[in-house]
Amino acid sequence: MAEIVAAMAMTHSPGLTGWFTRASQDYQQQALQATAEMRRRLVAARPDVVVMFSNDHLLNWPINNVPEYTVGIADEHVGPADWFDEWLAMEQYRVPGHSAIARWLVNEGARRGLALAYLREMQYDDGISVPTHYLNPDAQFKLVPVTMNCTVPPIPTPERAYHVGTLMRELLRAYPGNERVAVVATGGLSHEPGGPRYFWVDEEFDRWFLDLLKRGDHAALLRECTLERLEEAGSGGTAELLAWVLVLAFTRGPADVLAYMPAVAWRSGTGMVVWNEMAR
Amino acid sequence: MGNVERCDKTLPSNEMIYRVRRDPALRARFLTDLEGLARDFGLSRAEYEAVRDKDPRRMMDLGIHQYYVPQILRLFFGAAHNSNASAALECYQRAFPEETAKAMALQARLERGR
Repeated sequence: MAEIVAAMAMTHSPGLTGWFTRASQDYQQQALQATAEMRRRLVAARPDVVVMFSNDHLLNWPINNVPEYTVGIADEHVGPADWFDEWLAMEQYRVPGHSAIARWLVNEGARRGLALAYLREMQYDDGISVPTHYLNPDAQFKLVPVTMNCTVPPIPTPERAYHVGTLMRELLRAYPGNERVAVVATGGLSHEPGGPRYFWVDEEFDRWFLDLLKRGDHAALLRECTLERLEEAGSGGTAELLAWVLVLAFTRGPADVLAYMPAVAWRSGTGMVVWNEMAR
Repeated sequence: MGNVERCDKTLPSNEMIYRVRRDPALRARFLTDLEGLARDFGLSRAEYEAVRDKDPRRMMDLGIHQYYVPQILRLFFGAAHNSNASAALECYQRAFPEETAKAMALQARLERGR
């Protein structure tokens, strides 16, 4: 039986690597301190594998056929994808995969009614690359990437993401091995990539959402944070927080909000969060 | 619902950009022969002209997915170290003056306040 040993979430905006110094010194320092603290807690949890929940930015799948969730099942993950390397200002990285767990998710998920697409060679944009740069820079933890759709209609609801999180938790805990597993959500907070409000950040929404996480009342969050509310705060981007809602299902109680920056310069509300207690 | 609901999932432009940004040869052709490329992918004249004119508003009105709009601008302007920031911003300022001005005012206020 695998064990869930850590749960955390962070923004993956390309500005965090690609044009980091465009934001104020204060924001740069906050982002560096918060990601260093996330990494410290991740190392302390001694995971064998990090399951990273992000979203595909129309890179791996064409718009005519976008799966709800996709698992990367490779033995080794290589990024960033051609075309994103300059944008992210990142050198190529290689992270070992955990194909046994990845394939277990796909096959056991199917047996339990959860349709997960998979890719043997997944391409990586900011969604996986930016958190990997900050949290797993030496590739010491194996990676299982899981991407979701949050931008091509129909967009799944927060209730659905939470339900899938519950199923994922059960699937991982049922894995016939004794691996220690950390789960990391990437994406958000408010932003509207490419939309009319491309350069806008909704600070009020972001602080409201983070307060809901601090309260730790899952039912209240699911009641109040509807898909409509996410879309109002930035269409096609703020719904990346569905990954956070998914990871919420692995946790109990309040989250520690390590940092929040309404970073227009990075074109996204930017935040880092760690949960202290895992769901039983 | 939000702006993404306006995209036309069946629009040829959306298929074209998916293919172009994954393929260095097509990226080169995008710059040298956009009209021929658009014809090969079956774009309408209006789609081709909106892309050629780098006009975010027209692109989205026709149903190009919003996420692909800055990607199209990057195909034109390049991506290294966010070198398209000012060029992309100018395109959005022309297309969405009100929304973009509001965002710039917010940025100025936030940077003054800290």
